[in-house]
Amino acid sequence: MADLEKLYEQFKAAAEAVSAQVYRVKDLKEAGALLSTLAEEGGAKKIAAASSPMVDKCLENAALKAEVKTEDLRKHAEEACIGLSELDMAVAEIGSLQQDCTDLNKRLVSMLPHTHVALVKTESLVPTLADAIAKIDANKDHIPGYMAFITGPSRTADIERVLTIGVHGPAELKIIFVDNPGGVSHE
Amino acid sequence: MSNCKNMRAKIHSALNDQNLRGALGRFADAYLGARAKAYQGRDFEKLRQTIADRKGSSAQRMEELAQQFKKNAEARGAKVFIARTAEEAKKYILDVALANQVELVVKSKSMASEEIHLNHYLAEHGITAAETDLGEWIIQLAGQRPSHMVMPAIHMTRQEVSEYFSKETNQNLSDDIPLLVQVARQELREKFLKAGMGISGANAAVAETGTIVIVTNEGNARLTTTLPPVHVALVGMEKLVEKFTDVGAVLECLPRSATGQHLTSYVTMITGPTPSNLPDGTIGPKEMHIVLMDNGRTKMKEDPLFSQALQCIRCASCLNVCPIFALVGGHVYGSVYTGGIGTILTAFFNDFDDAGELQNLCLGCERCKEVCPGKIDIPKLILELRNRVTAKKGMPASQKFLLNTVLPNRKLFHSMLKIGSKTQKPFVSDNKIRHLPLFLAGLTEGRSLPALADQPFRDQLYRLSKPKQPKAKVGFFGGCLVDFVYPELGKAANKVLNNMNMEMVYPLEQACCGVPAGHLGATEAHRRMAKQNIEAFEKAGVDYIVTVCPTCTASLKKEFVELLKDDPAWAKRAEDFAAKVYDFIHFVAKQTDNGKQLGLKPLGKESVTYHDSCHMRRNLGIYEEPRKLISEAGLELKEMQWPDRCCGFGGSYSIRYPELSQPILEAKLDDISSTGADILCTACPGCMMQIGGGLDKRNSNIKTKHVVELLAERLPD
Ligand code: SF4
Ligand code: SF4
Repeated sequence: MADLEKLYEQFKAAAEAVSAQVYRVKDLKEAGALLSTLAEEGGAKKIAAASSPMVDKCLENAALKAEVKTEDLRKHAEEACIGLSELDMAVAEIGSLQQDCTDLNKRLVSMLPHTHVALVKTESLVPTLADAIAKIDANKDHIPGYMAFITGPSRTADIERVLTIGVHGPAELKIIFVDNPGGVSHE
Repeated sequence: MSNCKNMRAKIHSALNDQNLRGALGRFADAYLGARAKAYQGRDFEKLRQTIADRKGSSAQRMEELAQQFKKNAEARGAKVFIARTAEEAKKYILDVALANQVELVVKSKSMASEEIHLNHYLAEHGITAAETDLGEWIIQLAGQRPSHMVMPAIHMTRQEVSEYFSKETNQNLSDDIPLLVQVARQELREKFLKAGMGISGANAAVAETGTIVIVTNEGNARLTTTLPPVHVALVGMEKLVEKFTDVGAVLECLPRSATGQHLTSYVTMITGPTPSNLPDGTIGPKEMHIVLMDNGRTKMKEDPLFSQALQCIRCASCLNVCPIFALVGGHVYGSVYTGGIGTILTAFFNDFDDAGELQNLCLGCERCKEVCPGKIDIPKLILELRNRVTAKKGMPASQKFLLNTVLPNRKLFHSMLKIGSKTQKPFVSDNKIRHLPLFLAGLTEGRSLPALADQPFRDQLYRLSKPKQPKAKVGFFGGCLVDFVYPELGKAANKVLNNMNMEMVYPLEQACCGVPAGHLGATEAHRRMAKQNIEAFEKAGVDYIVTVCPTCTASLKKEFVELLKDDPAWAKRAEDFAAKVYDFIHFVAKQTDNGKQLGLKPLGKESVTYHDSCHMRRNLGIYEEPRKLISEAGLELKEMQWPDRCCGFGGSYSIRYPELSQPILEAKLDDISSTGADILCTACPGCMMQIGGGLDKRNSNIKTKHVVELLAERLPD
């Protein structure tokens, strides 16, 4: 666990350096509460979510004023303020997330809305990019159809080299680490 | 030649473009720091060796890997087409678009598509292709060409961008950058949602899995490959790598070298078609096509020297550090692929003759080679292009005469130089003669030129003293500058050698080191001079061979061996010769425990700033020794900012392109002056001439000295 603590700290520093926001919760109950707060703060009217075990549980535990859509996402994600999805790996050294997003919904919710809220298991932290690549490589005979590494929000420096956040993808990336995704932890 | 004139005009307009120079200059400075920071804790040499190995071996097996990729990607449901030519690639892509009744295509950045002018071709057939990378879109709206491989619109200001955007959207937009970015987001989002097809490039294609890898910051490649129901990836065959893990080193280096990032915002890895919203309203697997394009890559692979260019990962760091690029930007190079590497790629992918003119812009300073993650010897390849163009087009008779008759004959050379410096006429008016290294006439802009020595070094030898019982015989190679302009450097070297109890021997039959000939593409003349020099020093029977000019050292030590390696009568002789060659400063440091055994006596309290000559620093790798000798001589060393940045001399370069050489020199002079040092010291007579002339023109009090002079002045009696 000491190792995970170190990796988490490293991840947080690296991800914040590239303009992502990083949160950590004990379980999906807390994740739901945090999502509710974030949605409230952002004034979100619509949330587009790509269904997955963590996402579903998080939504169950959230008290949302916003409308939640999990289907017909090409339309809804375009209109939504927040997109919610589950990510598979987190690379500590460089603050990157990794995801098998062969599922179209996962791509739509992480690209079209203004904010992407990413749920990831704390235990899925790996130290380096090389470690992440080695993990994918170990299963290369069944490599997913569409994979992504995501590092901070969408950015450009194409006009006068001035860094500007939020070109084609989300302008905000909020990452929630979940320590105990299996269930609700006991106090 | 018309091409050449045209290029000159472009150079002038680029130099007069203040936006461009400001943007490029600011960027060049910021870039170095960002890059260094991003590589902290990484072993760059090891990483780039991995890239060179993996991409190099993949390039050699390009055809086999293409077949393997095709098999694996097709097993996953993609269609793979191997296009031999640009025509085949364009036709295939058009057919896919027509079969799907596509009217609008969205594109994420693909240099391969620019290489074949795909947008233009599609437009001719009634299909609109919208660029979605912000920089590329700006360029497209402006009807221009990208000026940089990673930052296509770096030459444009926010005001210009706002004008183009205002026109496109029929609004009156301010020049606020975040606002302009939002406008682009909205405009392009509509296009993404409407488009019938997406075209992307790829940064790598993995043969063993059939995966393509795309690296972006904006996220446009993700939208391009997700929203439209058809995806076509156009991939140059040099992007093929064998193993999935080969992608690792590319991902480590590409973002760090390109923009100083650890990783770009998005890295996308696609293997076969994935679900998409189809036109009939259902969700199902999209149509995916991958076009692997040859278009000159096989020809490049088969070339033993140029095949290394296939190791390029298109990071553009070679442009970012290039002093010429910082001045003129990409448009001067006039092609899709810009800068030094662009010259090489253009020759193979587009037009060989076109690149033949462009290579003249390179100073040969080797900064690009030092940072290239593909480990490509860019200046060498540029030089070789020059050779090939000369071989193909031939050389004018007057130039041949000079190279074959004048340069090897030192007496004749000197008397011609004397005439030249007095009358100036024959050398200034005749373009061809101006290409010679030392035709100093007519070049006094921003720089005073040293007077030619009345007596060349070779005619002053009788006055030099010798030790009685020397422990070694050291052959001294003068080179043009020492022989004719700075004979005092030869005398200083003799003094130092005497102190070391070594005898200086100066074989009179020695010729020019051949570099000026080599730079004109006259390989044969270079080779002849190699032989003449080897013979001269063999006859003299010396233990060592030294020179105070790092360019000469590099030619004697490295190029002669290379030039003669296939000649059985000469290969071994060249190697034996080269084994004895040292740069003088290196030699002294090595023989005297970094000057400790010279017994140097400090003179006064002067301070020194040291300029690393490009050849000394990067070609020979010598930079600690001169600094140690300077300290040993009791002088205070005040380092300038960027001591290893080129002074703009570049051999005959300052003569061919004074308009480019000049601003580079000015920046150097500023760096030198800011140190407050009394003496500018360097270990290269070419840099001395350039910098010394510049300081003189500014009426500066800073003296210019070669390291050997500082030593000689401080020897005990
Ligand atoms: S050698 Fe110097 S001038 Fe030539 S391309 Fe490289 S960086 Fe530019
Ligand atoms: S030649 Fe080297 S430095 Fe230049 S773009 Fe290619 S990989 Fe980068």
